Amino acid sequence: MSAVQHFSLGIDGSYPLLFLIWLLPLLGAMLLWAFGPQLKSLAGPIGAALVGTAFVAALFSWNDATALRGVSGGAHQMLLSWMPGFTFGLLFDRLSLTWTLIITGVGFLIHLYSIGYMAGDRAFARFFAFMNFFVFAMLTLVLSDNFVGLLVGWGLVGLASYFLIGFWFERPAAVAAARKAFVINVLGDVGILYAIFLIFSKVGSIAYADAFGNVTRSFTPHELFIVCLALFIGCAAKSAQVPLHTWLPDAMEGPTPVSALIHAATMVTAGVYLIARCAPLWNASAEARALVGVIGAITALAGAVLGIAQWDIKRILAYSTMSQIGYMIMAVGVGAFNAGVLHFLTHAFFKAQLFLGAGIIIHELANEQDVRRMGGLRKQLPFAFVAMSVGVLAICGIPPFSGYFSKDAVLYGTLAHGHPYLYAVGVITAGLTAYYMFRLLFVTFFGAYRGAVDLSDLGIRHPELAGTQVQGAATAHDHAPAPTWLMTLPVAILIVPSIAIGWLAIGGAESPWTKFFAPLFPAAAENGAAPPISELASGAIVLVVVLIGIVLAYLKYGTKSALAGSVERLRVETVRMAPVLANAYYFDAAIDALIVRPAYALGRFFGTVVDPIVVDGGVREVSHTAGWLGHLFRSFQTGLVRGYAFYLVVGVACFVVYYAVIGAGR
Amino acid sequence: MNPNYLSVPIENYIGLSAVMFFLGVVGVIVRRNPLIMLMSIELMFNAANLALVTFAKAWANNVGHIFAFLVITVAAAEAAIGLAIVVIVFRKAKNVDVDEIATLHG
Repeated sequence: MSAVQHFSLGIDGSYPLLFLIWLLPLLGAMLLWAFGPQLKSLAGPIGAALVGTAFVAALFSWNDATALRGVSGGAHQMLLSWMPGFTFGLLFDRLSLTWTLIITGVGFLIHLYSIGYMAGDRAFARFFAFMNFFVFAMLTLVLSDNFVGLLVGWGLVGLASYFLIGFWFERPAAVAAARKAFVINVLGDVGILYAIFLIFSKVGSIAYADAFGNVTRSFTPHELFIVCLALFIGCAAKSAQVPLHTWLPDAMEGPTPVSALIHAATMVTAGVYLIARCAPLWNASAEARALVGVIGAITALAGAVLGIAQWDIKRILAYSTMSQIGYMIMAVGVGAFNAGVLHFLTHAFFKAQLFLGAGIIIHELANEQDVRRMGGLRKQLPFAFVAMSVGVLAICGIPPFSGYFSKDAVLYGTLAHGHPYLYAVGVITAGLTAYYMFRLLFVTFFGAYRGAVDLSDLGIRHPELAGTQVQGAATAHDHAPAPTWLMTLPVAILIVPSIAIGWLAIGGAESPWTKFFAPLFPAAAENGAAPPISELASGAIVLVVVLIGIVLAYLKYGTKSALAGSVERLRVETVRMAPVLANAYYFDAAIDALIVRPAYALGRFFGTVVDPIVVDGGVREVSHTAGWLGHLFRSFQTGLVRGYAFYLVVGVACFVVYYAVIGAGR
Repeated sequence: MNPNYLSVPIENYIGLSAVMFFLGVVGVIVRRNPLIMLMSIELMFNAANLALVTFAKAWANNVGHIFAFLVITVAAAEAAIGLAIVVIVFRKAKNVDVDEIATLHG
């Protein structure tokens, strides 16, 4: 706890680059918001340039972040000290660095991409203002050195997400999705707020350093579990964990770059960041580890199962995001922080790439998102095919693509921490992931183009119910605009880390990745008995399951006969899948029945009973009393002068009697 | 100064003053003619004056005398204004019954 008790702004200037990283996107947001209409098409380049500059500044701060000073190392910049226990500062250590590089780096590429994708949109400048605002909010979240700053960032990214999901606010579905996302996220904010109250009441400080200083002495095991649980409610809401995940698929109503940046690469991984940041709390609470690990595994499996039954290309990717975040949460939940953060890193690249690849397709096909109405795009969009293929191979975990290493680390981590059941669920999920991602690949890129096929031939009766968004039907694609270099270049750049970033983890305990995080997540934390199989064997098992998934997808969608009769096959599947789709939404129905409807009923109760009788009744009684009193006094105001004179005399008589009695008494 | 200087006992003066005042009060309360009410008010003023002068004489304090003059002045002003009001009200309301012009009732 800081001994400084006065209110002071302490810019000691030791880390000026940190301010650049943090505040440049804010500057961009304010600039673009204020002068957007004047800047016109310059808004995009300006927004991208500021985020790019922040990325460069983050790279230049590498040495500060990795320096081994203090407890966990890194750079600490004091901002202001308010009252004892309430000091605000920026913490730039290896964990923040990882996230900051992804936020600004992938963020920069997605900004570039957006210049091409959003070109011609009426609210071009507003889009970039919100995107920059999001980057600023997310940086606030990861750079804060205390829980309150984290919560501020946590809330602001939710707000930015709300703005961007509802970016096309003329569409009712987008508005509803934005509202849903915001409400569920606020639920998580409340959880974190509650955790902060608990931590402050036990530790007397909001700083990470104090909260994690001596966990076992500060908290009883029960309190620690409650703190972890409250924090995890926030993580579950933000990172789309069961049962708070329902907003994420709906969030695909936002523009595709938003889905790539916010709802795949960065914001939804805030829960992973928080748990990794609070590693000392999780390390000390076995119950919390078990709970979060199980929830993560359920989410991973549920996301994969739901992903199989989707037709909207972005929804497939959304459910896969949910599934992959389930992996990360499972890993950090059981205590394999290295693995969870590594999976975040690889996922940020390959999922951003998948989304941007999907964005190219959607852009080309004039907003068509239904994979049933695609097909054969391999020849029309060879670049998108290559990009998506790399992404699919990475997410499936085919060596040497990055996903193999991170997924292997995650699964082996669960095993090493003594959770064989979670491992089994994770392996099954890996197989399902391979199945639905290759299904996406085959249906979208192979066979013949089905954009001109009649909707009913594909079994689509209600396009909006099937989760597709038919704004303008895909016109003859041969004169569709080719993707600009602004859209292809970022995807091309992303291909490199999608393949190679996982190589950091080669070598197990001796890998650069493990060594990088050794100061933050010491090997002692990775406790647990020796797993029954070696890491290589585990990787082989996963690979076999993945290959089974791929073969199944190939047999169903990829063979020559399947591709030749794809229209009929998709029709059959669509018709058969109708109830499956409905099942996929049991979550929404359950939340509707358990929370939304009771909330409405409560509202109606208050509206029809409490408000009229208690609130309005109280107000009415006050006014009634005032009226009654007025009526009473009114009767004295007769307007008769003689009457007033009489009151006067009575009053005087009262005085006389009073003084006579008192005087007699004295 | 000697109180015995007064040949008539002080109680008589005060008693007369009280009777006059009471008559004035009753006049104001029971009569409805504003002129009579003004006269009753004059009666109360004079009852007060009598009491003031009596006490001033009895206690040889001239303040009472001075105050009596003040009351006479105020009474004159009151009569002038009161009569003017009565005349105006009569012109407006065509009657001189105070109960009939009770327009300021609540």
